[in-house]
Amino acid sequence: MRAFRALALLTACAASVGAGTAGGKTNLPALPPYGGAYQPQTVDERGIWMLADEDEREVRDSKFLIHDAALETYVREVLCRTVGQDRCLGVRVYIERVPAFNANMAPNGKMVVWSGLLLRVRNEAELAAVLGHEFAHFEERHSLLAYKQRRLASDVIMWASFLGNTGYLGNTRSLIQSTALGSVFQYSRAQETSADLKAFSYLAASGYRTGAFADIWARIMDEADATAAGRKRRSQRYDQVAFFSSHPTSLDRATYLRALAVQAGDQGEVDDVRFHAAMAAWLPQFLDDQLKLNDFGGTEYLLGQLAGSDWTPALLYARGELYRMRGNPRDLVAAAQFYRDALAKGAMDPAIYRNLGTTLLRNGDAAGGRQALADYLRLQPDASDKAMIATLIQ
Amino acid sequence: MSQRALFHGLATALLLCAAAPALAGNTLIAKDQKVAVAKSLLTVSASREWNKMGARPGRNSETWTLDGDKLNDLTFYGGIADGATMFREVDKRNRPLPRFSASMLITDVPTLLENSYRIALATPLMKIDTIEPTSFAGRNGVRFTYSFAEQDQLQRKGEAYAAIVGGRLFMITFEAPVLYYFDAGIEAARAVTASARLP
Repeated sequence: MRAFRALALLTACAASVGAGTAGGKTNLPALPPYGGAYQPQTVDERGIWMLADEDEREVRDSKFLIHDAALETYVREVLCRTVGQDRCLGVRVYIERVPAFNANMAPNGKMVVWSGLLLRVRNEAELAAVLGHEFAHFEERHSLLAYKQRRLASDVIMWASFLGNTGYLGNTRSLIQSTALGSVFQYSRAQETSADLKAFSYLAASGYRTGAFADIWARIMDEADATAAGRKRRSQRYDQVAFFSSHPTSLDRATYLRALAVQAGDQGEVDDVRFHAAMAAWLPQFLDDQLKLNDFGGTEYLLGQLAGSDWTPALLYARGELYRMRGNPRDLVAAAQFYRDALAKGAMDPAIYRNLGTTLLRNGDAAGGRQALADYLRLQPDASDKAMIATLIQ
Repeated sequence: MSQRALFHGLATALLLCAAAPALAGNTLIAKDQKVAVAKSLLTVSASREWNKMGARPGRNSETWTLDGDKLNDLTFYGGIADGATMFREVDKRNRPLPRFSASMLITDVPTLLENSYRIALATPLMKIDTIEPTSFAGRNGVRFTYSFAEQDQLQRKGEAYAAIVGGRLFMITFEAPVLYYFDAGIEAARAVTASARLP
């Protein structure tokens, strides 16, 4: 009888761990966390805020942080337009130089945006969608709720282990434990979906094009596929969720966000001109960081997406660099052509002549290579590598 | 000895052999003695004592240090072959390292090191500062300096000498935190580099 009772209790716990819906949990303070000078209320919330505060001090002083007031202001303005002026006051925005697609938000209102995200979103509406998603995690206190859920799950796992060892649970121990463990990831996926839906409503309310959110996930899948193909690997599957996935698949997200956008009429502004103007000063740096990741397939796809039908001199130069770095004989021929196209379109950077020169030399065009290197030294007589380049001309 | 005991004995011996490289300790490099480094024909001699690390960064390399490899790191690359990475892959599937190519110009070597570090150390904070021609191990080569910060955010500086000989890359790098250690160790490192010889 006792065994039966223990089993019933644990099974109920394991089930309840999984049944919690993200965002809809009770026992939360009525005040929103973005309210001015909001103070964490419970012992759990105070704890995770303390950790977040410590983490924020590190981010603030990090070498990876991009110090550009104009860029920070721009990203903050997009956030404020998306979630509302009153709400965004509780957020500090930090932009980190990390060449990968991500952003994150801490429970205390610290938002971190990675440079790789700014390189990948194509317009202000897409940026707004991601910022809105992160803000939704903050607004709905997802970190706190997930922490409590993890604690409950680990309690269940521990009790199941203890009672299992004493023989009370028969052979149901591992089932209870795996249900509890799976619930942690299931809960995390539910939170992500909840944040997506909230971000979608922000997007719709702020006048941005709602379909922008689904566009991002479609391209993220294509880029991952291109990376895999470039590395001669099978691409990842998007039609099933792995047990340990913390997020829904990109395909799921693209599908439900697209359906919502179609339902809502998919109208609104994208503001790509304003976005590109804000990113212009940083584009060469972000491209350079991406090029040096040794990801030919993904970068080629990304450059194609950035260019659309208009290959600017900066993008042509980047494409030349991508091909030169891979360095097969055919790549060097292609790279030389991209450099020449960039120059023909008015590119001014003397480094293009240097890289054109070394590319031609590697491919056996000694005369052409020397000429390009001589042009480089003529255009940049005080180059730090002038003595080295001069040895290639002799 | 029973068959079972023999099997256990053999298995233990195999295990010990397999574990031996990891257990190989650091060794002292005596001063003013010519030693071959990085399992290659590259020889050097040191003007002071160094510690040779038991763990190698890769198949064709070895590291010496004075106070620990995070504080002063003198690494020898003894003939990286065409198609090989500079050091061991950190995550071949998701973050593969770039590979050396025998068709590279000597001016491509700094970029190869830069990109390998960016990927292996997971940092975009790595840049080449200067590049100039030099003589290294009796060959025409390149001397370049660089600076980088890993995830520990400590600012480091590096100085490298490299030459491509017979389609293989030979290189010596010295790197250390900017704070104190680089300046304290660079002269000893340069003395080693200046003594480098190839047959």
